[in-house]
Amino acid sequence: MKARLAALATALLLAAAAWSAALAQPAPSAALDAAFAAELATARRAAGAGCKEDAVDRLVRILCRGKLRVGVRTNYPLFAGETAQGLAGYEIDIARAIAAALGVDLVLVPVTPANRIAMLGEDRIDLTIATMGHTSLRDGQARFIRPHYYQSQTVVVGPRGRALTDFDDLAGQTICVTVGNASNAELSGHNARLMLFDSPAKLVERLSAQACQLAAQDDSFFAAAFADPAFAARYETKFGFAPVPWGMAVGREGTEHLAQLLSILSARFHRDGIFLNTAATHGIATGFLERQRSAWSGRCNSATALQDGTCLAAPLVTAVPATPWAGQVDAIEAWIEQRLGLRATLAMFKMAPAWDLVRNGAINSGLLILGVSLATPCIAVLIGLALGFGGLPLRWLAQGVCVLMQSCPVVLTLVIAAALCNHLVGITTLSGLITAIIALGLINGSYAGRAIADAVASLRADAAKRDEAPVPPHRLFREGLARAETQIGAFIINAIKGTPIASFIGVPELLNALTDTASFSAERATTYWLLLVFYTLAVLLLVPVVQALGGLLRNRASAR
Amino acid sequence: MTAFFDALPPGFLLHLLGGVSINFWIAAIGLLLGLAVGLPLAICLASGSRWLRWAASPVTALMRAAPTFVTMYFLFQVLQAGPGGGTALSPVMTVAWALMPYAAAYIADSGADALRHWRAGSFSAALLFLPNLVRAYFVMVMSSGISAAIGVQEGISIILRQANAMGSFPQQLGVYLLGILVFGSIMQVGLLGVGALRRFAIALMLNRANRRAAAQSDLDFDGSRIDPTE
Repeated sequence: MKARLAALATALLLAAAAWSAALAQPAPSAALDAAFAAELATARRAAGAGCKEDAVDRLVRILCRGKLRVGVRTNYPLFAGETAQGLAGYEIDIARAIAAALGVDLVLVPVTPANRIAMLGEDRIDLTIATMGHTSLRDGQARFIRPHYYQSQTVVVGPRGRALTDFDDLAGQTICVTVGNASNAELSGHNARLMLFDSPAKLVERLSAQACQLAAQDDSFFAAAFADPAFAARYETKFGFAPVPWGMAVGREGTEHLAQLLSILSARFHRDGIFLNTAATHGIATGFLERQRSAWSGRCNSATALQDGTCLAAPLVTAVPATPWAGQVDAIEAWIEQRLGLRATLAMFKMAPAWDLVRNGAINSGLLILGVSLATPCIAVLIGLALGFGGLPLRWLAQGVCVLMQSCPVVLTLVIAAALCNHLVGITTLSGLITAIIALGLINGSYAGRAIADAVASLRADAAKRDEAPVPPHRLFREGLARAETQIGAFIINAIKGTPIASFIGVPELLNALTDTASFSAERATTYWLLLVFYTLAVLLLVPVVQALGGLLRNRASAR
Repeated sequence: MTAFFDALPPGFLLHLLGGVSINFWIAAIGLLLGLAVGLPLAICLASGSRWLRWAASPVTALMRAAPTFVTMYFLFQVLQAGPGGGTALSPVMTVAWALMPYAAAYIADSGADALRHWRAGSFSAALLFLPNLVRAYFVMVMSSGISAAIGVQEGISIILRQANAMGSFPQQLGVYLLGILVFGSIMQVGLLGVGALRRFAIALMLNRANRRAAAQSDLDFDGSRIDPTE
């Protein structure tokens, strides 16, 4: 009995001890608050011990100064934009909430995407909340605060009623994008033809003016455009891809405590619905914030969750593998700048995916040039034969082809050919190439074929004038070919000059490849200079070749 | 057929013709730019100075070789943002400038030919420069369709947009055929115009030659000319 009583008393004592220990620990739901209070108290004690302008710890400096300098955008409606009352938006309200939580004044400093990280490094701002995607590349430049305060994705926007549900529908379509957008590579990888613009605002302008049919950009950016009823009545989001978490960021040096404090604060803001409610107030998409709130008010609601990979979104991996010769290309760039004073950026030779695109584009352009160089004279010969020697139905058919080809602008001919190809076999790289070769060959071959037929007719007339016996058809045709060789050569050159237009129907030739490269390398001047030089040189080099072949034809005809 | 025309938005044809007028406008600017660059080149190419010919020949060859579509993209992408971020060239001017090398090279070649004929006394051959100019203009009207690639709201853009909006493939083909009809008519009218201009030039020169021959026979004994208007 005594033993039982002793055991019971021990159990009760242990239970009481455990209960009192539990009371001493903050409840899980209050753990984040306690951690925040502890971090802030430590920093305040440090600040109270003596403030120095050159204090290493950024958090201490902020508390000493009594001001938090936050870098914000000024032209990103709904997130941070100028209004009659000053700057307003989701990010501005978040900055205010952070300053209030720290008990300091808020100083908003305008930043741009180009300088928002540099200003952290130069200690001109303490924190940036400026529509910045958290990428693996930027992790080396700034310290990002997790959990993230927002997440955007790239959306494809197009006219209502236009069927477009996924990447497969984008093949061969023109889509307007901004230069340097990380998601451009994915669009070009699905054979979309990119039209590049400097700023997102131009995309909305172009869509409104119907100069762009499709555009791709962050959903956060389009949120403001869709707030306009006229825009929303005409356009809709077709689909989204490439989600990227947005991170507040602080500098790399002396920011361990500040980053830790802001991480705890972000978790609290998710838990308490501050991020969610603020976003809802400004009418921006809240899907990500709803999921985050659910997580941080449930299983992630503890200080240890700040180290838990399942509670935190990973940064977007954007590191681009370099080519083995990237170092040599750097050296060439430096040499050009030093010796010639020109700033050339040869990004297409330094990034492995860009190099793949350029190499394949050059091969496809070579195939196109070779294809049209063969198709044009072949079609010319067929049309010349039909017009010069064929029966009436054949002559009419050839005549019809000539009139049709001469009545239709090149771009329209290519588009019709591509539409027929797509309808019959579907557009692939190979079918696109063949379609472009046939279309360009038909256009130029019909002109050259008519020139052959004219030459044959003139030879007949000459023979009739001289009262000569009729020349055998095969000889007449050969001499006709020789007489029309200048015209045939001119139209072969014309066809070669027209090959870049094949990019209009999505053929991945060099123009398309370099446009794709420029779209994610954010470099255009050198790229398009190289392109212009490539095509002009190709034509200049092929002119003597075509002329030499024509001379050969003429000599053989005169020798016989 | 009726179903097809019912599927088109009201006023589509007028809208299309409005777009085609932009093609004419682009070609006109391109031709003017081509004349400004091509005529001095033509004078150099036809000049007696070997140095001038040597200087003009490679420039003309380069312009002849520059592909219009790539030139347009080059101008559009490289000159899109002017100094201070402003737009340096509007899309319409971008296409006009892209057409300029073709126009300048053509004008330089045919202009030099015309000057040589003129010096050789073959005025009718020299006058063929005018119909050649008109022909180049119509070729440029057709070529200006490439501007659809940079979003200019001209004829081809309007056709392509409408084709995309049509429900079925046959209807899309119908829109394309309508485009061919409009552009084809323009081209054929243009070619007829070129022919008429050529005939007019030849007739004018023949008339002048006849008048000169007649005037030769009307000289007074002292060699003074009789004014036919008197």
